[in-house]
Amino acid sequence: MSAAVPSDLAAPVIMGVLLGGLYALVALGLSLVFGVMKLINVAHGDFVVLGSYAAYAGMTLGLDPILSLLVGVPAFGVMGFGLHRFLMHRASGISAEAPLIVAFGISIILQNAIQIAWSPLSRGLTTSYILASLRFGRADIPLVYLLDLVAALIVMAALHGFLRRTYLGKAVTAASQDARAAQLMGINTDTIHALAFAIAAATAAIAGVFLGLTFPFTPSSGVAYLIIAFGVVIIGGLGSMLGTFLGGIILGLAQALGGHFFGAAAQMLPVYLTVLVLLALRPQGLFGR
Amino acid sequence: MKGDVRLREVEEAAFLAGTVVLAALSLAGAPRSWLLYLVYFSLYLAMANMWNLLAGYSGLVSLCQPAFIGLAGYTLAVATWVNLPFYLGIIGGGVIAVLFTLLVSVPVFRLRGMYFAIGTLVIPEALRTIFLLWKPVGGELQGRGAGYVIKGIAGVSMTELYWLALAVGVASIFLMRRLLRARFGLGLWAIRDNERTAASAGVPVFRLKLYAFIVAAFITGLAGAIFYVYQGYVEPTSAFSVRWTMIVILCTVIGGLGTEWGPLVGTVIVLFLNFLLARYGGVSLLIQGAVLVGIMLLAPRGVMGVVGQLRATRSL
Repeated sequence: MSAAVPSDLAAPVIMGVLLGGLYALVALGLSLVFGVMKLINVAHGDFVVLGSYAAYAGMTLGLDPILSLLVGVPAFGVMGFGLHRFLMHRASGISAEAPLIVAFGISIILQNAIQIAWSPLSRGLTTSYILASLRFGRADIPLVYLLDLVAALIVMAALHGFLRRTYLGKAVTAASQDARAAQLMGINTDTIHALAFAIAAATAAIAGVFLGLTFPFTPSSGVAYLIIAFGVVIIGGLGSMLGTFLGGIILGLAQALGGHFFGAAAQMLPVYLTVLVLLALRPQGLFGR
Repeated sequence: MKGDVRLREVEEAAFLAGTVVLAALSLAGAPRSWLLYLVYFSLYLAMANMWNLLAGYSGLVSLCQPAFIGLAGYTLAVATWVNLPFYLGIIGGGVIAVLFTLLVSVPVFRLRGMYFAIGTLVIPEALRTIFLLWKPVGGELQGRGAGYVIKGIAGVSMTELYWLALAVGVASIFLMRRLLRARFGLGLWAIRDNERTAASAGVPVFRLKLYAFIVAAFITGLAGAIFYVYQGYVEPTSAFSVRWTMIVILCTVIGGLGTEWGPLVGTVIVLFLNFLLARYGGVSLLIQGAVLVGIMLLAPRGVMGVVGQLRATRSL
């Protein structure tokens, strides 16, 4: 792979692809909730950032960020379930824009709560293993990027298995395909919606830890993650794991190459522009129906 | 029907009289802090009215209001840097916001509902990144994205600023009244309630949405530019901040989304909240977020909705 591209491009290309898995992971939660509730949860990016900060808090207690997920994932699941039960469920009965505005409110609350708890300073999850790097041909790739992809693949495979194999997973799929028909088949769609929210929050916790290992983060990083996740959903369409993965890789490449050519400060610009151009050309998604 | 028209004229006359009284406040020697609150009130009111026009009356939940405000602020700054008078900068701010709307309307109006909201969310984020890297004029300031001082406004008195702000606030109210009572407003309602039905009934959907967006961009841009005349400098992080979105949503939702007087009532309440919470900094925004969620869940039509319900029950 590295032989086909100029050597100085090899590193950003490989990093972009590896990062793509992680972006697909961020998008999975957004896409799952959108699938069942027809809601783009604008607080999803803030869930991810909260995941990073939760791991940061764990680190100050001496916990390894990745191991802390053993606590973080169930805790985020409960949080997601509760947020749906007590807030989003009610909002979805009010009007078309109410869930969006409530989610926006949650996003503001989370952002400011994080800022109060951990100050607006940029933080990072610094562990011994993230400083290690591997050599691919002539390109040095930080080990953490490889971890990102592995983690993303594991979560995606697990989620795919859950949605295809288990009764509950099939119920989620059914509810996203046709909510009324699912209800008629005896599926409690309210519980399914809350479950989707819980899974989305749990995947956000995982994504938050690995993003936190890869990039520094601030309390307002959530918007960027939300846009990335949205962009991935637009590119990949809903319900397609492969499409989501490809979407993640496209945006990962956009960011890594953007950072390579225009510097770290501008690395998000190509991502934003890609999303806007895609919206203009194919709002139904590259692989969408 | 005739009674309605009479009532409307009385209402508008009373409203104009109130405006004159407010405008005279600054001459009557009202304290500077009062005027400052009224400046904020008028500007937030104009911005909230315009968001209400989009989200409340046209079903366009726009999250790109900071783009209009930030662009107008930068237009003002650049205008004063090339030695144009600041009022040209203010008007230019509105015009640039409109031109920008024309540019983004093509991609954005292909999106509906949720997709529209997130599509518009990307815009201020992209603009912030651009303005962090790009310096439109002048190289004297060190570093990128350090922002600009608005030049040539040293002579602008508090009274002038206050009147400018008041003019935009009042104009936004009259504009809403006139627009919503015209065919334009009916068309927007039809689009909000059901876009497809509206289109098949001959409502020019794209054109009306675009007009609503242009109006909103122009007034929001004017209000944004006037805000930056007061603030005296503009920099990307706060200019394109999601905080603006929060303010317009909060003002509108507390007062009543999709009600005519909602933004007015909501802006009063939000400013009062700001005043009460001013000492607490970050907690203030957190509480405002919680208020937004609470109001949306418990009283989706805000204060005006509750008032309307009370009236309806009393007349039973």
